Amino acid sequence: MKTPTAETRKGSPVLLAVLVVMSLVMTSVYFREGDGGPLHTARRGVLFVTSPFAVVGNAVAMPFNSVGRWFSGFTVSRSELDTLRAQNDQMRKAAAQQEEQRQENVRLRAILKLPDEFKTSSIGARVIGRPTDSWEGSILIDRGSADGVKAGTPVVAAQGLLGQVVVSTTHSSEVRLITDQSAGVAVLVQATRATGIVHGSVEGNLTLDYVAMDAKHPLKVGDVLLTSGMGGAYPKGLVVGDVRKVTPDAAGLFPHVELSSRVPIGDIEEVLVLTGSQPSQLVGGVE
Amino acid sequence: MRPGWPTVAALLVAMFLQASIAPHLAVFGVVPNLFLLVVVTLALVEGPVPGAFAGFTAGVLLDMLGTSVIGPWALVLCVVGYVAGTLNANMFAEGWLLPITVAFMASLLAELSYGLLLAVLGVGGPFVVTLTHIVVPATVYNTALAVLVYPWLARLLRQDPGMTEFRRMA
Repeated sequence: MKTPTAETRKGSPVLLAVLVVMSLVMTSVYFREGDGGPLHTARRGVLFVTSPFAVVGNAVAMPFNSVGRWFSGFTVSRSELDTLRAQNDQMRKAAAQQEEQRQENVRLRAILKLPDEFKTSSIGARVIGRPTDSWEGSILIDRGSADGVKAGTPVVAAQGLLGQVVVSTTHSSEVRLITDQSAGVAVLVQATRATGIVHGSVEGNLTLDYVAMDAKHPLKVGDVLLTSGMGGAYPKGLVVGDVRKVTPDAAGLFPHVELSSRVPIGDIEEVLVLTGSQPSQLVGGVE
Repeated sequence: MRPGWPTVAALLVAMFLQASIAPHLAVFGVVPNLFLLVVVTLALVEGPVPGAFAGFTAGVLLDMLGTSVIGPWALVLCVVGYVAGTLNANMFAEGWLLPITVAFMASLLAELSYGLLLAVLGVGGPFVVTLTHIVVPATVYNTALAVLVYPWLARLLRQDPGMTEFRRMA
């Protein structure tokens, strides 16, 4: 049996052209309008309507995720356990040394009357939503403008920097992760103090760009990258990630550097929103 | 042309499922595109004009659910809805192979076009990486879901009461 024909079954190239032009106009308007423009406002409206459903979806998926994580724990091998124990011993030693240095730092700051770089107010939040399509690097949290969260507010996890709020409604906010392809963070290498910019990518990896190779202090695997505080979006000193691979580029000025974030982004459930820091403008450039 | 209640309901349900359940069905970071399934199904059962309208509406909603630019998904899905709808005259109610093939081609076209649009707008990635990490896996995932969803969704969206029989997959 064949589908019956009707008037609507005929094509209309003019209609298609009109819809295509409308799409292009929307794209253009989105780039030109400010945060209070009609498209940004409509996006906040959609987020406001859908965030309760994201909460329900998260609640439904949580038991399954927990069971999956429990089963994944069975795959830890003896060699992995030995490696983790060795790392634990090293970290205990490092923590003891750092505590000593922290106390010395507090005393010296008090003497010099230096302001504390990390003195920002913050608020805890639960992750209630994950990326809604394959091209997105974002999460949804259950704090919004009612809690002092604004577009541009930095978001961190216990292990380091996570991202920045891009859309905020009364009781929920969408956070663009640093692994998103449109994210960029001004950083410095902790050991050498060389500066650069960390970018995300479509596959969720981090790369370090525009960092000069210094013959005296070369970039090494394992080097820690911190936010530099330049650009004004993030406070200085937040851990962004560790250098995983350095490939010198014979034809270019800068090496190709791959990073790994310390934050388990796929499994993160709670975050800290740095409400006391100054929100930046989210129009292009490095955030 | 006036959209029927089943079409409006399907788009709204797709929006809520895309925001709530779809993110948790992600496999290696690839999230199923439920809007695409609704648009392709509607285009196949109703034709190019309803397909283009539904594609545009679904695209705007999908754009607004994310954090990136608003407009690219609307453009991609209205074209996909229109092109899929032109095959409407060749659709047989009993067939399943052609709709699934169309769903595969539509998904490939949609994901590829969206990636290219993002690249044009300066927020895309390298072509090969995009192809291997998102476009191909998402196409396979969406097609697998279309196998499960298409017969039931087409039955819901078809406004002609005589066209309700679907042969089971062989």
